[in-house]
Amino acid sequence: DPDGDGKIKIIAAHNQTSPDNPYQTGMLKFKEVAEAESNGTIEVEVHAGTIGTEESQLVEKLQLGAADVVLVSPGFMTQTGMREVDLFSAPYLFTSYEHWLKAVDGEVGKEMADIINEKSDNSFKLLGYWSAGVRHYYGKKPIESVEDLEGLSLRTQTSGVVSDFWQATGAIPSGISWGELYQGLQQDVVDSSENAYPFFVQQAHHTTPNGKYITETGHDYTTRFLLINGEKFDQYSKEHQEIILKAAEASVKAERDATNAQDVEYKEKAIEEGAIVNEIDTQPFIDIARPILEDFAKEIEVEALLQKIIDLE
Amino acid sequence: MKRFVQALEKLQITVGVLFLTVFFVVILLQIITRYLGISVLWTEEVANYSFIWAIFMGAAVMVNRREHFNFDFIIRKLTGKKKVSLNIFNDLVLIAFNACILVLGIQVVREFWNYTWATIPEMKMGYIWIAIPIMAGTMIIYSVSHLMDHLKANKAKEVSE
Amino acid sequence: MGFLLLGLFIVLMLVGVPIAFVIGIVALLGIFGIPYTPEATVPMKMVNGLDSFVLLAVPLFILAANLMNSGKISEKLINLALAIVGPIRGGLAHANVLVSMMFAGVSGAAQADTAGVGKILIPSMLKQGYDKETAVGVTAASSTVGVVIPPSIPMIIFAGLTNASIGALFLGGIVPGILIGLGMMIFIYIVAVKRNYPRTARIEMKKFMKLLVEAIPALLTPIIIIGGIITGFFTATEAAAVASLYTLVVCMFYYKSLKVSDLPKILMDTLSLSSLSLFALAAASALGELMSYYQLGTLAQEFFTNNVGAEWLFIIIIIAFFLFVGTFMDAIPAMILFVPVILPTALQFGIDPVHLGLIVVMTLAVGLITPPYGLCLLLAAKIGDMSIERSFVAVIPYIAIVLIVLLFIAFFPDIAFFIPKLINPGLF
Ligand code: NA
Ligand code: NA
Repeated sequence: DPDGDGKIKIIAAHNQTSPDNPYQTGMLKFKEVAEAESNGTIEVEVHAGTIGTEESQLVEKLQLGAADVVLVSPGFMTQTGMREVDLFSAPYLFTSYEHWLKAVDGEVGKEMADIINEKSDNSFKLLGYWSAGVRHYYGKKPIESVEDLEGLSLRTQTSGVVSDFWQATGAIPSGISWGELYQGLQQDVVDSSENAYPFFVQQAHHTTPNGKYITETGHDYTTRFLLINGEKFDQYSKEHQEIILKAAEASVKAERDATNAQDVEYKEKAIEEGAIVNEIDTQPFIDIARPILEDFAKEIEVEALLQKIIDLE
Repeated sequence: MKRFVQALEKLQITVGVLFLTVFFVVILLQIITRYLGISVLWTEEVANYSFIWAIFMGAAVMVNRREHFNFDFIIRKLTGKKKVSLNIFNDLVLIAFNACILVLGIQVVREFWNYTWATIPEMKMGYIWIAIPIMAGTMIIYSVSHLMDHLKANKAKEVSE
Repeated sequence: MGFLLLGLFIVLMLVGVPIAFVIGIVALLGIFGIPYTPEATVPMKMVNGLDSFVLLAVPLFILAANLMNSGKISEKLINLALAIVGPIRGGLAHANVLVSMMFAGVSGAAQADTAGVGKILIPSMLKQGYDKETAVGVTAASSTVGVVIPPSIPMIIFAGLTNASIGALFLGGIVPGILIGLGMMIFIYIVAVKRNYPRTARIEMKKFMKLLVEAIPALLTPIIIIGGIITGFFTATEAAAVASLYTLVVCMFYYKSLKVSDLPKILMDTLSLSSLSLFALAAASALGELMSYYQLGTLAQEFFTNNVGAEWLFIIIIIAFFLFVGTFMDAIPAMILFVPVILPTALQFGIDPVHLGLIVVMTLAVGLITPPYGLCLLLAAKIGDMSIERSFVAVIPYIAIVLIVLLFIAFFPDIAFFIPKLINPGLF
């Protein structure tokens, strides 16, 4: 409240520039509820990629106070020096959407929120868990069993545990930037990739020879953290704090609904445009992932948390 | 002062050229490893950060050499004391701006010191951010040495007038 | 607030504060004026602005160009160009254009072309009786093809800003680049006939073949670079490193025109030149941040849809705007600042980002030869020892040629995209 008139302005930002992205749906819901409930004493300015299309930059802005509410993925949170958060980017940590819901909306979610708040010295306070959809394999051939991945080059995230998992399946992780991936799949630079339907279908990856076959590996029920600057939050009035939490809750529902709807919509679009989708028994993949998960949890000291998540299955 | 500034400039451009060489070599390494099927994930990050260091060090040296492009048609038209005064003003502007960047840069370094690199978690982001205060600090030193030259010239003009 | 900052920008620029710092100061004061934004955003954004892999292509292509000049590759290209077009009336001037087109294929660095070619050709043109205007004008103006014919640093930056395909942009630049070159040669021919400029003697086939063979390793560079990028063998940034390495190897081991002891100076020159424009880019990123807090992109989109409406008018406005900006600013910071502002509107008008990129890059190429800040013009004028004012008058006809080609490409994009569509339909 720099002007002392009881009004506050919240700069909310995510990294997606497309206006029909679920992130934008969620942020606009946040704005709508916060502004309506506060009778306009809270103003929310939503930036869709305008103050940063890189998540690392959004986190830096949040810490510095140049943005108040931002959305980030676990991998980028890790770079702020809290490795525990990276657990949520591990493959097959969650084995179904229901499993994910039970975890993030329950005890596990609360514990993770506490870790984030403590480790960041209250720079970050968690407002809610959003989702960026379910990630699947897509490549130049369908995957019928784990063996089919042997020797396939696969564009995947560059953080450790993800690449460890894919290496264990026999695939060769390859670090091509997202912007160059369409070309890479088209020109046979890389054999395959993995992502959630809305993201790769919007980029037309499924229309390339090396992106045509989609296997629903469901290896990552993704988590996105909706964060607010904790120090600023504490300075807001009790009333404003409650409104913000309420707005965040509404945004969580809106964003998840939008994501789920888009997952279906873009899968249909992919099939219509000639992509071939197959399902697969994920148990063999889960079996490969489990020891990697356990080692990883030990390394970043969240074994108890991992056990709680496994027990929720 | 002059000697110190010369030595500093030489050191700084050498550091800059070393970082330039590092990212040149790392990019070549990236192409080679990709075609050998070895997955080396850190190349892009190392190249980017070496690049940032190289550019900031180079930019500071260019302040000393007064190579940053400026419009000099007003300065060129002026003569004598007026010209020197405008030069002094410009030195002061650079010093003031860089003093702000130095202070804010240190703030940024402290905020983000413990952030880690994405591909090499053992490396701290602080090593990158610190290039900013170093750049701003050396730019101040170079501008102060210019300022002293201009003040001397100013005095000489006063004596002769 | 906005007008205050604009006023400050102009005053600081006029009194001679370096433009990169003017940009930084305005960004700092502007962010200071926003109560919700900490000033530390400025140094943060300066680092963020440079933290992009595509930008590494800038110093690397400059390195390739510096290696070409130091390793005397430029001379070999000049000799070949002279052998091809020398016998036409105004031969040296034609060769000047042709060699710039060849040079353009190796390096995206236009200034390096002006410097390398100008140092050799301006004195010899003057010796052969060309007037200064033609010598300086042709040298400066022909360098603009350097950023239109691939590889091109501005195209790489544009692609990074908009996610447009760099392969498509590169291929799209070939035809406009050749058209500009041909246009200039036609103009030169008319002038040469009128003023009775000399031609060089036709050389015998055997000698010509010798020159051609000598130049082949150099002429292979564009094929390696462009081929490597469009086949996905390497990215644009990697291509810049490959170009430098290839040039280095060719000069050291094939031509034997470079020694290891030459390298420190070449590297220092490369760092000097590239840190100037990239520091300006870093400062421009901070200013761009300020503009995004004001959501200028959205405002521009609203303005254009409400007040302009027609696509052709929007294109004309973009061209006029970037022509103006290019008079006092480098292409790179100009794009960092303004491409994000115009992109939403362009997309809404249904303009393909690759098409937009060609328009913007060609327009900003003109900025290389417009005063007060036109790097190629300044360099050529210095080599030819001619005032900036006279040099500018000399390049005006060439600017007209570039603009004519630009308008054709702007309104009949298929002229440019015919080749890339043929080579790789997948790019579109
Ligand atoms: Na070029
Ligand atoms: Na210009």
